[in-house]
Amino acid sequence: MIQLFNVIKKYGSGNPALDDISLKIERGEFVFLTGPSGAGKTTILKVLFGWEDFEEGQVLVQGINVGKLNADNMHTLRRSIGVIFQDYKLLTNKTVFENVAFAQEVTNRDRKTIKFKTWEALKNVGLTPKKDSFPPQLSGGEQQRVAIARAMVNAPPIILADEPTGNLDQEISLEILKLFEELNRNGATIVFATHNQDILKLGNHRVITLNRGKVVSS
Amino acid sequence: MNSAIHALLIGFRATIANVRANVQTFFISVVTIAISIGILGLFLIIFFNLNGFFASWNQQVQLIAYLKDDISLSQKNNLEELFKTNARVQSTEEVSKDRAWQEFRLSQAERSGLELDLGFNPLPASYRIRFKMSDNRLLHISEFAEKIQKLPGVESVEYGKNWISRFEKFMVFCRVFLMATGALLSFGLILIISNTIRLSIYSRQDEIELMLLIGATPHFVKIPFLLEGMLQGLCGSLLSLGLMGVIYYYLKSEFQASIESIARGMDFQFISEPFLLILVGASVLIGLVASYISTYQYMQVLNKR
Repeated sequence: MIQLFNVIKKYGSGNPALDDISLKIERGEFVFLTGPSGAGKTTILKVLFGWEDFEEGQVLVQGINVGKLNADNMHTLRRSIGVIFQDYKLLTNKTVFENVAFAQEVTNRDRKTIKFKTWEALKNVGLTPKKDSFPPQLSGGEQQRVAIARAMVNAPPIILADEPTGNLDQEISLEILKLFEELNRNGATIVFATHNQDILKLGNHRVITLNRGKVVSS
Repeated sequence: MNSAIHALLIGFRATIANVRANVQTFFISVVTIAISIGILGLFLIIFFNLNGFFASWNQQVQLIAYLKDDISLSQKNNLEELFKTNARVQSTEEVSKDRAWQEFRLSQAERSGLELDLGFNPLPASYRIRFKMSDNRLLHISEFAEKIQKLPGVESVEYGKNWISRFEKFMVFCRVFLMATGALLSFGLILIISNTIRLSIYSRQDEIELMLLIGATPHFVKIPFLLEGMLQGLCGSLLSLGLMGVIYYYLKSEFQASIESIARGMDFQFISEPFLLILVGASVLIGLVASYISTYQYMQVLNKR
């Protein structure tokens, strides 16, 4: 499902952010990506959804050679990936419902389907009562659940999460982790980047450890 | 097809949202476009009316062939034969020396109130030749004038050649001036609209990045901004032409009588319908080009990450 072959990514002339990384993640796997700050967790995720290019190596996601994509066909890759960020990246001028519906609007779905799927996604994350609220009116945990609903609403086979519990307390983090595990049980491949050791212990999944752009253990 | 309509509908909604989010900038841009189109429109109105004046003047131009005092009968017959055989000649009128002198004295008396009496008649006899209306009427007059000027018995010909040539040169200058002004204003408008769209893009930067992250195509992202540029062009040109129309009807109702007395038979004209459409179309096109430049540049920056 996801394969990286000897990937090298550099920012400027300093040390590489990704230094000859090779790894493989199978379909339906739940993988933790961990390591200290600057280890390359976020860079790997960005490379996987085509937000950052790389100097050397090959990246295959769902059989798509990411390095061969250009601006005009990048959407084909991104539509098969749901991305979740530490800072949620919600649109503050849109309601919870509109934020989740937005992810489907860009894929040209009809209004009826958008309404139904949005409602279903919000139900899955337990946020239907807050559908008309705006993000700033929600707690951190609730905002992250909206982001998860938005990522899962198009039922992508892959979900990439970049420190999704980074801004949340332990109890809420556990709730969020459970949501990811639920998505994984429903067939999604999850790549969960975190440096939170408690989360790693709570979830009994494969852990890929990075340090200074290299895979330390897998 | 359905997905294209769907994308366009979403684009329209996003355009309205863009405009609402930046009402002031949108309004300033529309007013700037309106002023620029107004300047161009004003020049066009002047140009159209000069053209109209020229056309009405053109209709009044006639050729006068002055005859030598010693012209023979056969030479006169030759001339009259030439007038008859020229299909473009509408009518000819012979003005004798006496009639010319009488008319001149009469017009002088009307102007100055003095009766002229020189004791002799200095004016020559002449033919006044009117030509039928056609596209190249002035050219035909000029060609015919050159032809008969060389004939025996003809003293000189007169049809306001110098004035016509000066006016024609002036009209050519007007055309070049209009085109240069149009090009300069278009360039200025492209810069202004492109900056407004850039502001609009930056105000929605987060949304655009998110759109791309969740799988929007570049076209899907660009459409609302392209529509916004076109909307600015449309609103600016309509506002400008609407205002010019109001001013035109006011001026016409107030000054048409004076214009008619200065240039007989001339109607104070507005910009013709095809040119109105061209102005609106050009304005919309300028909006599209300007917004395309901004969105293209922004997407290039995003893609270089």
